[in-house]
Amino acid sequence: MVFSEDAPPVCPLGTEACPVLAAYLRLQEECRRLLALSQTDGLTGLYNRGYLMDALSREMERTRRTGLATGLLMIDLDLFKEINDTFGHQVGDAALVWISRFLQQNVRQLDIPCRYGGEEFAIILPGTRLSQAVRLARRLHRALQEAKPRIQGHTLRLTASFGVDAYDLRERLTPAELLQRADAHLLEAKARGRNLVWHWQLLSDQASPEVSPEERTGLLTPKNLRKKISGSK
Amino acid sequence: MSPKTICLTSGKGGVGKTSLTVNLACALSRQGVRVLVVDGDLGLANADVLLGLTVTHTIRHLLEDDRDPMETLIFPEPQLAVLPASSGVPDIVNLGPDDQERLSRILRTLAAGFDLTLIDTAAGIGPSVLWFGALADQLILVVNPDPTSLTDAYALIKVLAQEYQRREFHLLLNAVRSDDEAFQTFDTLAQVATRFLRVEVLYLGSVPQDPAVTRSVREQTPFVQRFPRSKAALAVAALAARLSQDRALAL
Ligand SMILES: Nc1ncnc2c1ncn2[C@@H]1O[C@H](COP(=O)(O)OP(=O)(O)OP(=O)(O)O)[C@@H](O)[C@H]1O
Ligand SMILES: [Mg+2]
Repeated sequence: MVFSEDAPPVCPLGTEACPVLAAYLRLQEECRRLLALSQTDGLTGLYNRGYLMDALSREMERTRRTGLATGLLMIDLDLFKEINDTFGHQVGDAALVWISRFLQQNVRQLDIPCRYGGEEFAIILPGTRLSQAVRLARRLHRALQEAKPRIQGHTLRLTASFGVDAYDLRERLTPAELLQRADAHLLEAKARGRNLVWHWQLLSDQASPEVSPEERTGLLTPKNLRKKISGSK
Repeated sequence: MSPKTICLTSGKGGVGKTSLTVNLACALSRQGVRVLVVDGDLGLANADVLLGLTVTHTIRHLLEDDRDPMETLIFPEPQLAVLPASSGVPDIVNLGPDDQERLSRILRTLAAGFDLTLIDTAAGIGPSVLWFGALADQLILVVNPDPTSLTDAYALIKVLAQEYQRREFHLLLNAVRSDDEAFQTFDTLAQVATRFLRVEVLYLGSVPQDPAVTRSVREQTPFVQRFPRSKAALAVAALAARLSQDRALAL
């Protein structure tokens, strides 16, 4: 047997329907499947937390080599427990699957959406600066607010809180530290009332007495858009 | 009861600060609270007008001559005093730091003689509004359901929070058409303020839209007196009753 990465393996003895080759191919397929399995989340099919950490190290290493920043979004569904409590866990699980598709469909080809655990998601944004990452987060945030997914007969309004951060060459940071920082911004978004995109630059924006566009939107948004979750049969 | 000073302010003009200050003061005084109303609208004073008072001396005279501040007060009722301002006088910015210091000392001395001092301020976020806002123990923001009232009140909260480290704001909804409207307006402002400014916004109460208010302005008599059974008067009386019992806010 010739073990080459590129060419499909063939039996070195040229045996027709070689049983050893067949077994080899089966094993190779099984290995691929197991690898994929170990990297993905069973329910949603997104990459899992283990893969997230590997991919984040890889992308941050790429930042060190190329100088291109790595963005990171941490996303947590708001009041998800209410969905489970109100509609049951089947609907809750279906909502997680729906949001996973939603994230996959609304990010760019190279972005890496992962399920971090429970109702928390992370998206690695290769080659993306903070300002671009914030823009992407805002786009997702808005698109999610406007989407009214119908899940198992219920129209749900899902909203999420977003923590945004990015790694560039100006700092020295481990993947765990970057993750922790983005997570802290996410907690901040939660603490500030959820359904919000948060990143550290907003703190300096808040120092200006001008009313920011975000604040104005909050004050002038029609009341019927402000309900956190509304479910109907 | 230890003396307390509450500033009523709004950002946007014409939302009912003066009407509510005067009527709240009347209602409180009728419940046995000794109240001082300070007309902090130095440029366009009108607390006295709403009470139909004849003013001879104002805050300006207080600063110009060294008279006894008590002599400047007008007592429309035994438990109710008014410190009038003078219309058409320039803003507090034009008071030098010495005069500002003197005024705050005078106000503290006067307030010590009452259970409660209510300061009615000018519209906007000018220096005098911020000056009185920084001086008061508590802040009441008068807000009506108009979106511009909401954004102006928010801008004022933001400045008071950031420049003057104020952390607590009481919202008094005015000219509402229903309780629901009051709650929704409150919710909107409170949510955005908590989220972005990390301040505490508390619901104080609401006063309905009521033609009795406008009529009483024309007649220069407080509506709690002139139309005691009107919806607005009942709401203000209920608020006064709550305030005179609520140690947390004021008394
Ligand atoms: N609850 C109410 N129902 C009906 N009209 C009201 C109500 N509250 C206030 N108004 C009317 O709004 C007008 C403005 O009221 P007021 O002078 O008290 O406001 P203000 O905030 O003190 O204004 P300014 O900013 O000019 O000092 C008055 O004509 C008053 O009659
Ligand atoms: Mg006024």
